[in-house]
Amino acid sequence: MNGIRRWIALGALVSCLIVTRAASADECLTCHAALGDKPSTLFKADIHHVKGITCAGCHGGDATSSDMEPAMDRKAGFIGKPNGDSISVLCARCHSDAQQMKRLHSSIPTGQLELLQQSVHGNLATSGKSRIAQCTTCHGSHGIVAVKDPRSPVHPRNVVATCTRCHSNATYIRSYNPSLPVDQREKYLTSVHGTRNAVGDLKVAECASCHGSHNILPPKDVKSSIYPTNLPKTCAKCHSDADYMKEYGIPTNQFEQYAKSVHGIALLEHNDLGAPACNSCHGNHGAMPPGVESISKVCGTCHALNSELFSSSPHKKAFDDLNVPECESCHGKHEILVATSALLGTSPEAVCARCHVAGTKSFDEAGMMRRLVDTLETSESEARMLVEEAEQKGMEIGEAKFRLRDIRQARLEARTMVHAFNEERLRTIIGKGLTVAAWASEEGRQAIDDYYFRRVGLGVSTLIITILVIALYLFIRRIERQQRQRGTVTSHSSHGSTS
Amino acid sequence: MSRIGKALYQWLDERLHLDDLVTFMDKKSVPVHRGSIWYYFGGVTLFLFIIQVFTGILLLLYYKGSDQLAFESIQFLMSKVSFGWLIRSVHSWSANLFVLSAVIHMFSVFFERAYRFPRELTWLTGMLMFFIALGFGFSGYLLPWNELAFFATKVGTEIVGVVPVVGKPLMVLLRGGEEVSGATLSRFFGFHVAVLPGLFVVLLSVHLIMVQRQGMSEPLEEGHQQGARRNTIPFFPNFLLRDMLLWLIVLNLLAILAVFFPWELGKKADAFAPAPAGIKPEWYFLFMFETLKRFPAKVLVVEGEVLGVLLFGVAGLLWTLVPLWDRKRDQGRRNRVLMYVGIAVVVYILVFTIIGWLA
Repeated sequence: MNGIRRWIALGALVSCLIVTRAASADECLTCHAALGDKPSTLFKADIHHVKGITCAGCHGGDATSSDMEPAMDRKAGFIGKPNGDSISVLCARCHSDAQQMKRLHSSIPTGQLELLQQSVHGNLATSGKSRIAQCTTCHGSHGIVAVKDPRSPVHPRNVVATCTRCHSNATYIRSYNPSLPVDQREKYLTSVHGTRNAVGDLKVAECASCHGSHNILPPKDVKSSIYPTNLPKTCAKCHSDADYMKEYGIPTNQFEQYAKSVHGIALLEHNDLGAPACNSCHGNHGAMPPGVESISKVCGTCHALNSELFSSSPHKKAFDDLNVPECESCHGKHEILVATSALLGTSPEAVCARCHVAGTKSFDEAGMMRRLVDTLETSESEARMLVEEAEQKGMEIGEAKFRLRDIRQARLEARTMVHAFNEERLRTIIGKGLTVAAWASEEGRQAIDDYYFRRVGLGVSTLIITILVIALYLFIRRIERQQRQRGTVTSHSSHGSTS
Repeated sequence: MSRIGKALYQWLDERLHLDDLVTFMDKKSVPVHRGSIWYYFGGVTLFLFIIQVFTGILLLLYYKGSDQLAFESIQFLMSKVSFGWLIRSVHSWSANLFVLSAVIHMFSVFFERAYRFPRELTWLTGMLMFFIALGFGFSGYLLPWNELAFFATKVGTEIVGVVPVVGKPLMVLLRGGEEVSGATLSRFFGFHVAVLPGLFVVLLSVHLIMVQRQGMSEPLEEGHQQGARRNTIPFFPNFLLRDMLLWLIVLNLLAILAVFFPWELGKKADAFAPAPAGIKPEWYFLFMFETLKRFPAKVLVVEGEVLGVLLFGVAGLLWTLVPLWDRKRDQGRRNRVLMYVGIAVVVYILVFTIIGWLA
């Protein structure tokens, strides 16, 4: 049976060769097209075919020979179907050769293979035989088209589907990184980026926009574009580009504001990886601005106690009724500055005064809460100053210095408690801090008094000892003078008995 | 002397034969020469030791020798107990001056060749006391259980551990285990307040009795001017009063140091914390510490550190036994080579101590 099939194929090939011989230089394609196989069908639309590269460009052999034997002669360099890492190496023969690319009138970069090998996909696959991804894994093999071509698997419209072929496959991903989520695509489709991408907006971010393409690194790699300290700049590539964002009608100063915020300074200047980046509030694959109703929940993922206290406070209902965002109304959003007690109270810069009117009970309460916090801050700085002064004077004041932490803790608790907007509860915590502050101040004062007492004591004792020294010296001189007058001292005959 | 005084003296004399002692004291004289000043450092060392004992006993009233309480007890002593800060500062400063004074005393005896016949045993007891004084310093340094002391003790006991054969068992004995811990503190406390003072007092008694029996040594050239008239002063009261004059000056110095430079307590020791930068032993161990740091990792087949420790051990032994091998001593001749060796040792110790201090 196999023999008959082989003869039929051969017959078809021979007749096809006869027909097309004169018309084509790629004899491989001529015959394989006659056979109607998938690779040759796809290859006709391949950019490499368009650029005049024959099958032998990758598979080796002699594409000019219509005779199968010499065309596919291994001695003539025919390699058959490349596999494993040899695929990428084969592509790089041209794609890493700047001269060759120039000859082919291509302006695409020539360092892709190096980048791929350094990327997370350049690690060894679980099979242990080759790297995780080859060029063909994403670009395809025989039907490769330009990235800008909508048919390309790495075209912005298709790249999500291409990446998620593996990344949404839980079984496959588990073998590399069991903790890596596989729901990125689902999340992406719910995001602003995903929804716009689905309707053909090619400017919005897709996988490669944030992760890179050939040079994708693990998120924990400090060089990765999505490493926490790099992420804000990655987002800002588009979101801070006013021209690029023009058609979307959203501000482009978020990064500028964020960089000045308490969060931005912590992350970008102090490298505090616990500080939030863009994705901490907006989500990453499902990126979307948090709505009014969910903003306190988003902030509350870190500021849990503040969020809880606010939710149980009278302000919660008032904010809901007014449909204003909870945390953001007082603290701002991208440019959140260090919260000082200046936010509290009735002064013009205090946020309470934006809603509460003078003469009302709530206005007075706001003023009282500010005074309580101020009292604690003043007491704390006084205690700290006294303790530091005593320490600078060399006094042992370790316990009081240690207890300064308790005052600071009370101040922080008080700041948190402000979110309950309950004067009594705030007064209890402030009272706790004031008690410790009074104790520490007293300790500092005593130590400073002690310092001066020691110096006075030293002066007196030094004086007494000095008088004693002088008196003793004079006494010795007197008795030695008397001894000399009596001739009983200083010099007498000796015969070295003591030497 | 008043009538009551005379009666009391007579009562005591009948029982203790004080007349013999008074006669001895009356006849005892001290040579006067260009090097007489060095005689006083023995007395200053004794005075500082007495201060150590006195302030040490007062510290004992509050100190708690456990890793949980030691630091806090000193903190309490310094901040809450009346004059506790003064007692601790005086104890710490006098400990350092005590070692300094002992070093000066030792070198003055060495350069004056006062260890020669018949004072070999006096030198030997003095050297043993000097080693015990270093032991006092090393053990006392750990007692506040602060960070610097903890890591310095760790390094110090590690150095003991590199001595071949006996090093490791000795290190375990000192530490009370493989690591520096609360057991080490308990041991060091025991050594510091019981073992070392006991040994020291016995040696001190022997040393002082021998000094009294043999009298003060004189420089070679003074001692061999046979028949010449030699300047002396009576020990009592002249020398003793001068001694007291110096003691008062030292007391004044101690008070000034204690008030202007109170001994810091630092941070409590934490065995799990990383070693702080700039750990140094007490200044009197600095020259050895600096030398060991500069030793090559390996000298032929021997570990550099092991060789260094062994060399220091041999040098210490040779120094201690100098009366036995300084052969020119009996002829009453100066041993110039030994003098140059002594000067080289002083220069070496000074240079390496300064380097260690500045490092």
